[in-house]
Amino acid sequence: MYSFTPEIKVCVLFPVSFVVRLALVVYGDYQDRNMVVKYTDIDYHVFTDAARFITEGQSPYNRSTYRYTPLLAWLLTPNIYLTVVFGKLLFIVCDVLSGLLIYKLLCLRGTARYVSSLWLLNPLPMGVSSRGNAESILSALVLGTLLCMEVRRLTWAAALYGLSVHMKIYPVTYALPIALSLTPVAFVKSLTTAPFCCLIRYGWVFLHETYFYHLTRRDIRHNFSPYFYMLYLTADSRWSQALGLAAFLPQLILLLVSSWTFHPDLAFTCFLHTAVFVSFNKVCTSQYFMWYLSLLPLVIPHLTLSVKQGLGLLLLWFAGQAVWLAPAYFLEFEGYNTFFLIWLAGLFFLVINSFILVQIIAHYRSRKSLDRQKAE
Amino acid sequence: MHMKGNGDQEPCFFLKGLQPSLYVELSHKGFHREVVTTVELGSETPADVRALLVYRWPRDVYVDPYQVASLSHQRGWQMLFNTAIDLEEPAHRTSEFSTYVFPSHAGPTPNPLKVTIPIHGRYHKPSFDGKTFTPVHIELPELLLWTKKCTPFQRLEPHTVLDAPCTASNTSICSWVKIQNPNKNSVPMSLHLPVGDGSTVRLISTGTLVVTLICCVVLCHSMLKHQLR
Repeated sequence: MYSFTPEIKVCVLFPVSFVVRLALVVYGDYQDRNMVVKYTDIDYHVFTDAARFITEGQSPYNRSTYRYTPLLAWLLTPNIYLTVVFGKLLFIVCDVLSGLLIYKLLCLRGTARYVSSLWLLNPLPMGVSSRGNAESILSALVLGTLLCMEVRRLTWAAALYGLSVHMKIYPVTYALPIALSLTPVAFVKSLTTAPFCCLIRYGWVFLHETYFYHLTRRDIRHNFSPYFYMLYLTADSRWSQALGLAAFLPQLILLLVSSWTFHPDLAFTCFLHTAVFVSFNKVCTSQYFMWYLSLLPLVIPHLTLSVKQGLGLLLLWFAGQAVWLAPAYFLEFEGYNTFFLIWLAGLFFLVINSFILVQIIAHYRSRKSLDRQKAE
Repeated sequence: MHMKGNGDQEPCFFLKGLQPSLYVELSHKGFHREVVTTVELGSETPADVRALLVYRWPRDVYVDPYQVASLSHQRGWQMLFNTAIDLEEPAHRTSEFSTYVFPSHAGPTPNPLKVTIPIHGRYHKPSFDGKTFTPVHIELPELLLWTKKCTPFQRLEPHTVLDAPCTASNTSICSWVKIQNPNKNSVPMSLHLPVGDGSTVRLISTGTLVVTLICCVVLCHSMLKHQLR
C-alpha cells in the first residue's frame, strides 16, 4: 500500500501551488487581450508606469496615484526591459515563499504543518498575486521577520522588519512586541535605513506619497470601512478633524491592549494587530485582508474551534463582504443611491469581524498552555 | 506655427457646402460611463480632410489619461488634455477641463468616425436639501476640420476659424474650421450621480461612533479575559 507521508505532500504542495499561480498569470494575459473585463488589477498598471518613469531617469511619483515605496518601482523595472509580466511572476514567487515561511514557522512551533496549505491552495492570495497586487512581497517580509525572531536571528529580523514597514505602514503596529526583542540600536536602524536612502534620492515627495498620504488619507469614496460614510458627510465640516481623531482611538486602544495581553506570543499578537488595524481603519479595501490572512495559518493550529465552527466563521466573514458588495455594486455600476445601505453594511461587517476575533481570542491556546496540557 | 497655404481660395470653398453631422450618446449607468460620438463627414468630403473633436468636460466627471492611453491603440484615436487630471479629488475641489481627440489613422479620416470615451463620475458634496442625486450636464463636442490645401483666413459663414493643436503631440498649432450646428442631438447630454444625504450626518456619526466603541469595548474585554499568563 502506498504511504503518503507529510514529506511527499510538501514535495507536491509547493510545485502545485506555484504552477496554479503561473496558470492564472497566463490566463490573466489571455483575458486582458480578449475580454472587456480585465483580469489585471489597475494597481499593476500604476506600478508598471512608475517603473517606466524610472527607466527614463524620472521619479516614479510622476505617475499619478503611485503611493508606494520607490523600491517597488525599481524592483519592477524588468517589466519595461524584459516582459510586462515580470512583476506578476515576482509576486507569485513571493506568494509561494510566504507559504514556505508559514510552513517553517509551523514546524518550529511544533504544530500541524499541513495548515500551510490553507495559504498555498487558497484562491484569495492566488488571485491577488496573479492579478498583479504586491501584497505577497509584504507578507513574505512580515513572515520572514517572524521566522527570524523565532530562531533569534535578530539582525535579519530587524532588517526584514524595517523593510516591511518601509513598504507599508501597518507593520509599525508590531513595533512594541518586536522592540522588546531587539536592541534599541538595531530597532532604530531597521526602521530608518531604507527610508533614509529613498529620502536622499527622491526628497519630500517620497515622504509624502509613501507615508504621509496614508497617515492623513481620508478616502471619501465607498469602501469597507465603518467610518466611510461618516467621513464623507463630514469631509468639509469643522468636525472633520475631531471625528477623524475619534475614529483613530478604538484602533489605538485595541493595538495597545492586544500588545499588553498577548505579547509573549509574537505571531498571535501580530495577527491581532493586523486584524484590528484593518477592521477599524478609516479606509479598508479587500487587498488589506491579505495582511492578516497571511498570518492566520500560524494561529489556526492553536485554536480549539471545531472544523464546523471554523467553517461557520469563514462563511460569516464571506457573508459580511457579500452584504456590503451588493449595495456598493448598485451605487457604482447602476447609479442607485445606496449610501445608507453601504453604511449599515459597513457597520455589520465590523460587528462580524469583531465577533470572529472574539471567537479566535476565546479559543486560542498558546504553545505554553498546549505544552502544559500535554504534561498534565 | 500656423500652416501656410498657397493663397488659393478655391480649396476652402468646399467647406462652406459641407454638412457633417455629429451624434453623441451616453452609455452605461452609475459612475462609469461611455460617451460615444459618431461623426459623418458626408460623401463629398475630400479624403485629406482631418477631423478634431473638442470636448469641454464639467468638473463633475473625469477622463483617466492612463486608461485612455492604453485604449487609444485599440480604438484608433489619441487624446490631448489641456491640464493634468486628478483622479481622486471630489468635484468641488477640481475644475473643468478640455480634451482634443484626434483620429490616429495615417490615411483618410474614417467616415463615419466613431469615438468612444470612458468617463468617470466624481463624488460630490453631500446634499442638505433632501436631493439624492446631482445633475451633471455635458456639453456636446465641437467638430473641427482641417485640410492641408486650405488656409481658412477668409470668411466661411456659418463656420468659424479656431486655432488648435495640429496633432496629439501638440508641437504646432493649426487653423481649424469649427463646424456650426453639426449636432443631431436635440438636447445636451446629462446624467445624475448619487450624493450623500447631509441631513443624516448626526445619525450617521453617532451610529458609527457608538457601534465602533461597542466593538472596541467587547474586544478589549475579550483580550483582557483571555490574556496570556
